[in-house]
Amino acid sequence: MAKPKLIKERVPTPERPVEERVKSFVEVNLGYDFASALKEAERCIQCPPEYAPCIKGCPVHINIPGFLKALRENADNPDEAVKNALRVIWNDNTLPAVTGRVCPQEDQCEAPCVMGKVGDPINIGKLERFVADYARERGIDQELLKEFIAETDGKGRVAVVGAGPAGLTCALELAKMGYKVTIFEALHEAGGVLMYGIPEFRLPKDILKTELEKLEKLGVEVKTNYIVGKTVTVEELLQEYDAVFIGTGAGTPKLLNIPGILLDRIYSANEFLTRVNLMKAYLFPEYDTPIAVGKKVIVIGAGNTAMDAARSALRLGAEVTIAYRRGREDMTARVEEIGHAEEEGVKFEFFLTPVEFIGDENGKVKAVKFEKMRPLEERDRRGKRKIVGTGEYVTIEADTVIIAIGLEPNKILVEASGFKANPDGTLIVDENLMTSIPGVFAGGDAIRGEATVILAMGDGKKAAKAIDEYIKDKKANA
Amino acid sequence: MYRITAKEELDVRDFFMEVEAPHVARAWKPGQFVVLLIHKKGERIPMSIYYADRETGRIGMFIRRHGKTSFDLWDNFDVGDSLYAVAGPLGTPIEVKYYGNVVFVSDAVCGQAENYATLKAMKEAGNYTISIQTFEDRAHSYPEKFLAKPVADEYYLTTEDGSRGIKGHYLDVLKELIEKDKVDIVFGGGKLGSLKKLAELTREYGIPTIVTVRQIMVDGTGMCGSCRILYDGEIKFACRDGPMFDAHKVDWDDVIRRDSRFVREQEIAKKHYLESRGVV
Repeated sequence: MAKPKLIKERVPTPERPVEERVKSFVEVNLGYDFASALKEAERCIQCPPEYAPCIKGCPVHINIPGFLKALRENADNPDEAVKNALRVIWNDNTLPAVTGRVCPQEDQCEAPCVMGKVGDPINIGKLERFVADYARERGIDQELLKEFIAETDGKGRVAVVGAGPAGLTCALELAKMGYKVTIFEALHEAGGVLMYGIPEFRLPKDILKTELEKLEKLGVEVKTNYIVGKTVTVEELLQEYDAVFIGTGAGTPKLLNIPGILLDRIYSANEFLTRVNLMKAYLFPEYDTPIAVGKKVIVIGAGNTAMDAARSALRLGAEVTIAYRRGREDMTARVEEIGHAEEEGVKFEFFLTPVEFIGDENGKVKAVKFEKMRPLEERDRRGKRKIVGTGEYVTIEADTVIIAIGLEPNKILVEASGFKANPDGTLIVDENLMTSIPGVFAGGDAIRGEATVILAMGDGKKAAKAIDEYIKDKKANA
Repeated sequence: MYRITAKEELDVRDFFMEVEAPHVARAWKPGQFVVLLIHKKGERIPMSIYYADRETGRIGMFIRRHGKTSFDLWDNFDVGDSLYAVAGPLGTPIEVKYYGNVVFVSDAVCGQAENYATLKAMKEAGNYTISIQTFEDRAHSYPEKFLAKPVADEYYLTTEDGSRGIKGHYLDVLKELIEKDKVDIVFGGGKLGSLKKLAELTREYGIPTIVTVRQIMVDGTGMCGSCRILYDGEIKFACRDGPMFDAHKVDWDDVIRRDSRFVREQEIAKKHYLESRGVV
């Protein structure tokens, strides 16, 4: 038999043209259709699951060769193929339309892909997204959902704090096992950072909302407008529930401790993105929440949040510059997001550290003063080149500034509940993700400080398993 | 959804509204606030609490018809209708304990609500309570039953033009009280400009002063940093670290300036709303 020929190049996914997308918040990437998805899936050499490096690279260990195989096996029946593929994905990850869009696949499942050694790695992220989207559009997901509805008879009750990636995953996994789960969410909508932080052009809210509808169908109750630590305490939750999972994320923005930080039109990325994404300020005054953005915006930082803020500001009609204190190679944003930002006309300035915000006579920002930085050969513990100030300064005009230099955990809950925490506010957990309070587990940015959606989901899933064990033990010993 | 159980005009500008929000009512403590979202396209607005009744699960609020949301709320929401979201309680409660002679001063809607709520708790804690409520004039003053009078051992109502009660501002009455040597702590709420003057007055006499620092918020939980203030040289968030702060440590000029950040947008929203109602 002839050896199958390796196809080195990826089947590309179409994208909305730049001139069209910079004017609106519609999604940039258009995704695969069945034929092109199949062609891409056929490039996979099908490493056996026990060895497959992609599965190991995925924080929630989706059976990637398995779902690609399912697609290939029913090439002549797309609906059946997608249903089988989705079943495989859902076993490990119930939010594939989200992860297929926002995961840094290039650093995770796609990084160790064997095909990557000879050509392009399999486009796993876009394939995952295709399966989720196709299933949703055809109602296949609704049909499949019935298979995942579990009997909840007397297994136990779990409270989940925070409806972001960690909490949602934990809740959905526990619901699939048959637990009765209640999510407590501080905002008026579930989704956490997926809702307030990630713009429509990367993760359309309608798609997110369809993913969230699974909660109700799997019997998970969501109590919005509940601020755990204020509305209800963790202690009270423990009286009513067998276990508690904390997935409160890292909600507090780091601000720059430099002169002028209180000037008008200096936003934290969180405020800017919350106004735009969650409150739809880009549709003001049809929606009531305003956003004041000028003509020249400087975004400080170089992570995905900085890219999201920059591209959102661009869509609000501004000229946008991203200023980063390190060099291009040290930017932490996904390559795809940096590429999109560049294509759309975001400018980049490197080796600049802000030292002062300069205001006008009305207290509104008008410029940012930066110190020029110089890279050294020496590297820090993350492998990035160290930088030093040069003593030279440059001032760049700006009528709006967005600070996207990171987040730290919100202290409301830690302070109210007496958890053992690190100095940065992250909760201390054991190897089973249990906090210093027995029966209370935690995951995601609440323990990591600042990470990715998929790592939070990985924690949610791991915690769900640990909670299952914990409750079973507790009931057995009762 | 959170059902409206009472609604009543307070004066030509302010109104009272009671809403079912048992999750807030059971946990609320003086000094804390709520965030309302009147409908799905609404904005998140922080609101002071006049009372929170654990038994009925209802909270009472004083609201000023000032911007688009409050006009919309007054015009289009009646008893029996529901609000889309009521989140809370938020903020840090004030320390309710025995201080001695406690004065609460207020000259605007949020302060008037807290004047009642805070003094009630302070009286229950054994303090001698003094309330001073200032209104602009008779037309802008509240009906008797909504005043803080019943929870105060000593009560003063002033109007700036003298058309009801004493002529003058709370600052005038407070100064007299202080000079009579009977004030251990002052709490205050209302106009930011007055609070700045209050801070200057009580600093002179060395009297501890705790006031509500009103700032523009989005989430109200410490997530966005919109309500940041300069406090004792440090950045604090009014929603999470406040909203009540030591008035002597607040950088008032900055707070007052930051409070007007969205004036232009507020006017656009109000105009857009009034036009849609055919008012303008």
